[in-house]
Amino acid sequence: MDDLLNEFLTEATENMDVLDVELVKLEQNPDDLELLGNIFRLVHTIKGTCGFLGLPRLESVAHAGENVLGKIRDGDIAVTPTAVSLVLQCLDQIKLLLVELEEKEQETEGEDAELIAQLNAFAESGGEPADSSPSEAEDDVVAAAEMEAASTEDDIDENSVEAAVPTATKAGENKAPPAVAKKSERKKAVSADGAKDTSVASQSIRVNVDLLENLMTMISELVLTRNQLMQLLRNETESDFTTPLQRLSHVTTELQEGVMKTRMQPIGNAWSKLPRIVRHLSLELGKKIDLQVIGAETELDRQVLELIKDPLTHMVRNSADHGIEMPDERHASGKPVTGTITLNAYHEGGHIIIDISDDGKGLNTEKIKEKALTNGLVSETDLEKLTLQQIQQFVFNAGLSTANAVTSVSGRGVGMDVVKTNIEKIGGTVELKSVEGQGTTFNIKIPLTLATVSALLIECAGERFAIPQISVVELVLASANSEHKIENIQGTPVLRLRNRLLPLVSLQNSLKIESLADEAHSDEMFIVVVQVGTYTFGIVVDRVFGTEKIVVKPVAPVLRQIPLFSGNTILGDGSVILILDPNGIAAESGDLSLPTVAAADAGESVEGGFDDYVSNSDRDSLIEILEQSITAAENRL
Amino acid sequence: MKSCLVVDDSRVIRMVARKILEELSFEVIEAEDGQVAIDVCKSKLPDSVLLDWNMPVMNGIEFLLALRKMPGGTDVPVVFCTTENDMDHIQKAIGSGASEYIMKPFDSEIIQSKFSQVGLI
Repeated sequence: MDDLLNEFLTEATENMDVLDVELVKLEQNPDDLELLGNIFRLVHTIKGTCGFLGLPRLESVAHAGENVLGKIRDGDIAVTPTAVSLVLQCLDQIKLLLVELEEKEQETEGEDAELIAQLNAFAESGGEPADSSPSEAEDDVVAAAEMEAASTEDDIDENSVEAAVPTATKAGENKAPPAVAKKSERKKAVSADGAKDTSVASQSIRVNVDLLENLMTMISELVLTRNQLMQLLRNETESDFTTPLQRLSHVTTELQEGVMKTRMQPIGNAWSKLPRIVRHLSLELGKKIDLQVIGAETELDRQVLELIKDPLTHMVRNSADHGIEMPDERHASGKPVTGTITLNAYHEGGHIIIDISDDGKGLNTEKIKEKALTNGLVSETDLEKLTLQQIQQFVFNAGLSTANAVTSVSGRGVGMDVVKTNIEKIGGTVELKSVEGQGTTFNIKIPLTLATVSALLIECAGERFAIPQISVVELVLASANSEHKIENIQGTPVLRLRNRLLPLVSLQNSLKIESLADEAHSDEMFIVVVQVGTYTFGIVVDRVFGTEKIVVKPVAPVLRQIPLFSGNTILGDGSVILILDPNGIAAESGDLSLPTVAAADAGESVEGGFDDYVSNSDRDSLIEILEQSITAAENRL
Repeated sequence: MKSCLVVDDSRVIRMVARKILEELSFEVIEAEDGQVAIDVCKSKLPDSVLLDWNMPVMNGIEFLLALRKMPGGTDVPVVFCTTENDMDHIQKAIGSGASEYIMKPFDSEIIQSKFSQVGLI
């Protein structure tokens, strides 16, 4: 493609992203002249550049939009939802034209006369909608355009991202924080951003993503080689290589960190479409919704960013559709009429936490129970024993939607299970807490990058394996004399750990590897306590080595159908080891997780009041619960 | 080789301008808004400026006024270049110290003629 056209498409698409966010902001702050000026300028720029490329069709649409914006800027037209909808409609048409332009590399034939006439009539009349109500007509157009534009914009993003770190930050500041700050703060923020922009923008360049990916792969190889060299060095008592190798090691680490940074993008990039979506939803559903975002500048690997974009959008849609109540309903229950959805992202111990919370009606536990029963997810007796939290987790099951009416937005019974699967695929976890009548909070924990992970190295039957650190809760050394004992309940080993009973899985049995002959059965056992979702269990291993940063390589295709492994890696000594997938182990060991043994393992049914000094009757009843659960689990197998 | 500072917030327009000006043997420096342009001028004054009007952070007029106040800033020919074609805009630009005024979209021919009018070619 022509360089100039390519550049134009990239620039225009970036501008369109900003415009979407800023227009919605404007609707909430109609008096923000600076914002308005910025919006006007962006449309103006698109129109202005069209002339250089000979794009009359695009130019005329942009011109009509600019015309309306000009009237708004001059105060002839007020910032009303109708006005904003009309301008958004114009932007959608521009997006469509950009998409066509990218596909065909030239303008296509087509008619925009109706839209242009509508825009012009609106501008002329000083804000009177044209005969057909544009806000209604708009919805379908918007929805369609949104989808198309969204899909193609992603493609463009694939081809090139702003590479240098300063630019990434800048993009985040420009696009990201839509609705957080109060108006005065926002004005300040805008000018502060501006000042920052000037100092960094000239120092950034655009780099192809493939180049960065390639660099990352090569760095990974370099790190592995470095690790091998360092391993060799450790075996030498005195070596001339010591100093240079240490320097090499140091530089390699810095290089790796540097390259990782180039891949970092603010999470706000994944959020930029949300204000527009929430606006559209609130119009469609007749609700009042305020979207607050906190921590949009939090950076994470662009690969992770791409992967969480869709789940995040889906969850926000869900919150808007199912979480937030209708205004009169909110009023009746004494809440502010406008519902709030809050996105909050922050770093925590090598991970990124994203909270999505709403102050809506919360999950209806009774309805979930009912659904779970009808769909055969759980038996009536088991249901009795589940904690509130456990019942709520059912929303992550396929085929469980509590929305009474299936709206066009969500409630089709697919969704949360897909969200959960997608997040777990990238080594993340998602949990939810909900208080009926007060709202729901989803808590997503995802790794900063997929390139390297912290993993616990363990040994089982003479083979080494890695367990992703994100799932590891603690390590326990169990023996007959220690306070942590392994007990057998109906042939199923469980670990008594701080008054909780934890189901155990023998890695050796799961992997079906033969024990070494000399590995006499000692009464000491290493147990790695792992958590998968809300389900905690112990994996019995032979030895524990320690934690290491490993470079994850995908599982070879021949092994891919074995759910126990999530990848492999090369260690410092050059040996190739497999990375275990705790999800897979949990599933393989008979889906202990839901809901039966989980009930016994859960704190509430066991903890309160149970300790080493409990009476026999208490103890018996506990064992009874466990037995029932295990029998139920067996029956389902 | 004479230098020309191209001030425009659109990368596309800077690309077009660079192509044309480099063909006319100019060394091209780019700035995406008035403030960046001022920073550039502070370190070294360019031999000429091709200036957009509507930009974020600092617009073309503000930059022009600031440039004219800088030491030696009055001697730098500034060619204003925008999509606005009404007399108000033209008069305001010239009044603020612009040497020439051209319309977008511009081409090699118009740039060449205007730059020669201000004695650069």
